[in-house]
Amino acid sequence: MNGEPARENAPAEDWIRRTWLVNGREVSLRVPPLRRVLDILREELGLTGAKEGCGEGECGACTVLVDDQPVCACLLVAAQLPNRSRILTIEGLSAMEEGRILEEAYVEAGAVQCGFCIPGMVMASYALLRRNSAPTERQIREALAGNICRCTGYVKIVEAVGRAAERMGRAAAGR
Amino acid sequence: MVTVTRRGYVGLPVERTDAIEKVQGKARYVGDVRRPNMWYGAIVRSPVSHGFVEGLERDPHFDWSGVVLVTPDDIPGSNVVESLVRDMPFLAAKEVRYRGEPVALVAAPTREAAHAAAAAVKPRIRRVPALTEPDEVVRVFKAGGELEYLWSQEIRKGDAEQGLREARIVVEREYRTGYAEQLYIEPQGMIAVPQEDGGVLVEGSMQCPYYVQPELCALLNLPPEKVRVRQTVVGGGFGGKEEFPSLLAGYCALLALKSGRAVKIVFDREEDILFTTKRHPSWVRHRTGLTREGRITGWRVDFLLIGGAYATLSPVVLARGIIHAAIGYRCDDVVVQGRVVRTNMPPSGAFRGFGAPQAFWALESHVDELAEACGMRPDEFRLRNIYRGGDTTTTGQRVPEQYGGPAVLRKALELSRFGARYAHCSRGRTMSDRWYGIGLAYFCHGAGFTGDGEARIRARAAVELARGPEGGPAVVIRASSTEMGQGAQTVLRQIVADALAVPIDRVRYPLPDTALVPDSGPTVASRTTMVVGAVLYDAAVAMKKALQRFVSRNFFDGEGCVLEEGTFSSETGRSLDFTRAALDYLRTTGVQQRFEAVFSLPPGTQWDQERFRGDAYPDYSWACYVAEVEVERATLAIGPIKITAVLDIGRVVNPVLAEGQVQGGLVQGIGYALMEKVGVAEGLFEAARMQTYIVPGALDIPEIRVTFVECPYPYSATGAKGLGELPLNGAAPAVGNALKHAVGRRIHDLPVTPEKLFRAIERKGDAP
Repeated sequence: MNGEPARENAPAEDWIRRTWLVNGREVSLRVPPLRRVLDILREELGLTGAKEGCGEGECGACTVLVDDQPVCACLLVAAQLPNRSRILTIEGLSAMEEGRILEEAYVEAGAVQCGFCIPGMVMASYALLRRNSAPTERQIREALAGNICRCTGYVKIVEAVGRAAERMGRAAAGR
Repeated sequence: MVTVTRRGYVGLPVERTDAIEKVQGKARYVGDVRRPNMWYGAIVRSPVSHGFVEGLERDPHFDWSGVVLVTPDDIPGSNVVESLVRDMPFLAAKEVRYRGEPVALVAAPTREAAHAAAAAVKPRIRRVPALTEPDEVVRVFKAGGELEYLWSQEIRKGDAEQGLREARIVVEREYRTGYAEQLYIEPQGMIAVPQEDGGVLVEGSMQCPYYVQPELCALLNLPPEKVRVRQTVVGGGFGGKEEFPSLLAGYCALLALKSGRAVKIVFDREEDILFTTKRHPSWVRHRTGLTREGRITGWRVDFLLIGGAYATLSPVVLARGIIHAAIGYRCDDVVVQGRVVRTNMPPSGAFRGFGAPQAFWALESHVDELAEACGMRPDEFRLRNIYRGGDTTTTGQRVPEQYGGPAVLRKALELSRFGARYAHCSRGRTMSDRWYGIGLAYFCHGAGFTGDGEARIRARAAVELARGPEGGPAVVIRASSTEMGQGAQTVLRQIVADALAVPIDRVRYPLPDTALVPDSGPTVASRTTMVVGAVLYDAAVAMKKALQRFVSRNFFDGEGCVLEEGTFSSETGRSLDFTRAALDYLRTTGVQQRFEAVFSLPPGTQWDQERFRGDAYPDYSWACYVAEVEVERATLAIGPIKITAVLDIGRVVNPVLAEGQVQGGLVQGIGYALMEKVGVAEGLFEAARMQTYIVPGALDIPEIRVTFVECPYPYSATGAKGLGELPLNGAAPAVGNALKHAVGRRIHDLPVTPEKLFRAIERKGDAP
């Protein structure tokens, strides 16, 4: 019960070099091959928006997008991500118009309580809206099924995503 | 027709203070905080459930350089958690009473190194017999065997035995609930930073800074001015961060003071589930006498909670449990006998509802069975038996003429069209693919501390006039109430802005820091909006009066004035902006101006702690849930499809936040009803991960309709009553009653699962 899987005790000569595009910026690092991407984001890059809730891919609080796909950063280790992988975190999404719309919708709908799941929730919402600009309520719930929220009962989160979809649709139509 | 225009912010869906930084990932939770030269702590735990410590062996092959070890001998102060009953050590020195109980601590430069060091300390413990399984406790209790009780309390009104003798029908049933985990998504975490004066600063995830601070003073043998406790943004608590953080803060502080460095402990999910508090498992037996017309003549309730190794908060969980055990229905002759059993498991503790969810699972399931026993519908039976004005509760508290109960019950029945739909219940008899059922639960929650709790704690809170970050005047709330997602920061700002009549963006509410805020009591017991809100309202009114006097004297030549909507207006029509007046006031007086107030109970409040008689709570919030469910006939898969929720929480300060509290609490209650389950195996909780402890996800949620009926608290300016816990209390029995009417079988122990329904159908009877 005190045992922690030794994630990072690889000798320095086994460390690997990786160059990724993190939030659109090129980042080069030398890291132990089994270092979790979540720890790299949070500890090496200071991107603490992705949270650790369970460490086993159940809660979704660490959701980020890798090459546009939502993934749990706690399940991914450095060696699994090839060079040139594109990683988008909440910090990157916040700087985008879609991010601003989603965040505004979350705030207005009252979808945020303790907030710990919310960055992951917003990332999963964005991943959905990228591939489906007008999701049904059922599709929203399915897309968020991997993200656990203990505060809200999901009602207002689902509302927020619906609201954001409408606004993004309008923004796109107005362009 | 009179049009009432409502001024101010109370009643409006003001946007959350903390939402934007959270949604952008900028909010700093304890896991996001790093201190210079920070080390990481880890806990050495007992490998056995019960035994005596004979020594701690350090693995000689492990490199101990760069590791700090803390044993009970290193504790400078008293190795006991003060709490209510002084029975729990910070570190077990002699006897260990549960598997995983902390016996020593280590700190090292990395998390991995700290955990490796903890694993290299081997406690040598002489094992003795242990009691761990809730089923075993209940078996021994029912057989009249010997058990150790951490606490016992009885409530007696009239003569229950006589009342039962007079009954024409007597119904006796037993109800069970198991362990449940709060499962805040942010795990427990704390950082301690040694200070130059020999003191310590502790920051982290907690509900109650003033629980932590005095514990640290006693543990570290430090005066209060050398122990500062600060809340970081809290990622959910639900009671789980009420008492437990005091332990974790103590561990970090001991390591920090010994190592001379900042020390952080953030649990991973497994350690968090395995070794922090759970909801008390319960066994409740109701024995109730009825007349043929369905009136209650006598009532006996035996209420058993499983408390774990130490008492911690169990006495007050039990108090709330027994007060709510037979509440809401008229009966002159009642006895409720409550006990908390000691076992060799981690201490059970606070979890939203605090004894009431166990009480209402039993009570509201039982009331349905009473209705059935006298051939009445569940709604008719309740309408006939609920309190009327002037009745008394089991503790003898008088029910006011106007209270929320009847209104929420009638409204929920009407909105859900209960009567019409009840006739369509399948009762396990139809050959359709899906069975339909509807059920209700009628329940309440006493707002604030139980009994003399509020009188003893005398909650204090203050507002200060200061310069804001942008140079303008700011009204700063100084209270120890924590924001943990429930919206305290927002609603308390609304209340203060209204009391002062200033724009809400002038009101700030920084996270509590014991160096700066008075003790407003803990953030628990559905008391923040009602109790601390009332205190802050009074404090803000005091500030308003002082400002009005100042403006009157310095700007209006002594002419009286009032502050309304951010402007001072004199009797003759002169006016002055709040900003200008407040800045001038600050310049003139030269210092921050602080206005403090104290909570007072309603006039005439009486409580006899010995006999458990009197006014158990300042007021009660009431609610009724109507649940509709479908059960797939082939698989018995359970699908809640709709919940109609009607609640009286007094004045609703923020309708969007309040609705969010109800939706969230209700969904936690659905989890409690249908899926959340922690077994015990070899002294450990079995479901130690989120893969095995299943909580509702976005696909598990029924349609939820929330309606508020406002029956305001008459003794405060805001009129708000308690909200936080109420929404969880009634979910499980409403769902359980609906399932009974869908399947035709009643399950008496939570959670209700398809497996239990299957066994009940096979057995052709209700399940125990």
